[in-house]
Amino acid sequence: MARILLADDSETILLLLRTRLEMEGHEVETAADGQQVVDAVRAAAPPHDIFLLDAMMPRKSGIDALRELRAEGVETPVLIVSAHTDGGNGDEHADLEIAGYVSKPIDFPRLFARIAELT
Amino acid sequence: MIGVARFLQQRQDFENATARSYQSEIEARNRLARGEHPAAARTAIVSQQRRRQALRDEISSQTRDTALLVGAGLIAGLTGAALLFTGLISSMRRPLEDLVEASGRLAGGDLDARVSVGGLSETATLGAAFNEMAGELQRRAGERDQLDRMKDEFVLTASHELRSPLTSVQGFAELLLLEREKLDPKQAETVEVILDNTRHLVRLLNDLLDLARSDAGRLTIKPVPTDAAALVEDAVRTMRAQFDARGQSLALEIEPGLPRIAADRDRLRQVLVNLLTNANEYCPEGAGVGVKVTGDGADVEIDVSDDGPGIPEEQLAHIFERFSRGDAGETQRVGGTGLGLAISKSLVELHGGTIGAESTPGEGSTFRVRLPAIASPDRAEVT
Repeated sequence: MARILLADDSETILLLLRTRLEMEGHEVETAADGQQVVDAVRAAAPPHDIFLLDAMMPRKSGIDALRELRAEGVETPVLIVSAHTDGGNGDEHADLEIAGYVSKPIDFPRLFARIAELT
Repeated sequence: MIGVARFLQQRQDFENATARSYQSEIEARNRLARGEHPAAARTAIVSQQRRRQALRDEISSQTRDTALLVGAGLIAGLTGAALLFTGLISSMRRPLEDLVEASGRLAGGDLDARVSVGGLSETATLGAAFNEMAGELQRRAGERDQLDRMKDEFVLTASHELRSPLTSVQGFAELLLLEREKLDPKQAETVEVILDNTRHLVRLLNDLLDLARSDAGRLTIKPVPTDAAALVEDAVRTMRAQFDARGQSLALEIEPGLPRIAADRDRLRQVLVNLLTNANEYCPEGAGVGVKVTGDGADVEIDVSDDGPGIPEEQLAHIFERFSRGDAGETQRVGGTGLGLAISKSLVELHGGTIGAESTPGEGSTFRVRLPAIASPDRAEVT
């Protein structure tokens, strides 16, 4: 079981992911944009085990939030959820230590396996 | 012209002088007839006759000069005309040669081809018309390129935007099926139909996205040294359940000691799964499908063969084109998108390989993928 910070600007996707993750026994906190992610991480006690961030969100994207957090020394593993099938470029954000990409629609068994590996 | 005017003046002078001379001779003859100074009158008559002779000599000489002058003028005029004509031709030839050359470049696809406008007004007009036409062609080509880019952008954006709602539909349908025991059989079946159709939509979306990427030159691969055998085994393992479900056999034969290939594993797996899915869906229940991996040093070849209905020759020629599929009846039954083979071809070619199909209607088909092997020094020692 992991403490997961989950961010997506779509309420439906948040509900889906939260439901599936909680059914797996994880504890889930949600955020609707990058700023909420940064705020939630700063306020978290104990810290989250893993971040599951949507790459594109209005105002502040998951990538921007992660850049800010990494600059603050936050080393939590992160999976980026992306609507792109090629799952990002890999080398594009090499400095952000992204553990992996999850493409939509979500392959849940694979996602659960990745979370288990990283926490 | 001055020569002629002077000649006309000389002619006038000659006539006046001749008339005065006749007048003088008549007066002398009258004096002779009246017997006044007959010797002087005779001398005057002769003198006037000589004077007229001198005038005639003079005028004929002047006439000859003028005629020569006029003739020379004519010749000069003709020569000038001839020179002018030659100049005209050469001043037309250069612009025409330029036009021919520029037309050739334009036809060859160089839309920047233009001619310099100059020379005679006619060739200048022609040159200007040519440049206008070339400019128009270039403008339209630019518009077409822009439309192509807009289309590519549209497909990329649309498939991206459709992905989120599809994620929800698929995700919640899966969620319902996770609690299948709470659904009655009819409800469970309904949810399965939703899920099947959603997966088909996702497959179609992925294929369209790949094609749009391919068109936009954005379909790329990240090749790494790969064991082809392991990749094929993985694809066969993934597909095994579908073959079992239709009572079809799926045999795998791998030559030992194959060289490695440079492959984007996900993309090459996509190609293999596509070929196997086609065999699975287009062959009847109980059919036999075989996958064979061989190497000849330079290439690794992956053959997917079946003993299904085969592909008619006229379809076989177009089988790697978009939306080229079996006949309408088959298409209804088979759930494919008609894009799989076109994408597979693009992907294999991105790997520097080739893909081909052979078929004998009634006996079966073989799809053959050839991929270049990585030149390996230690392998060279072995062989």
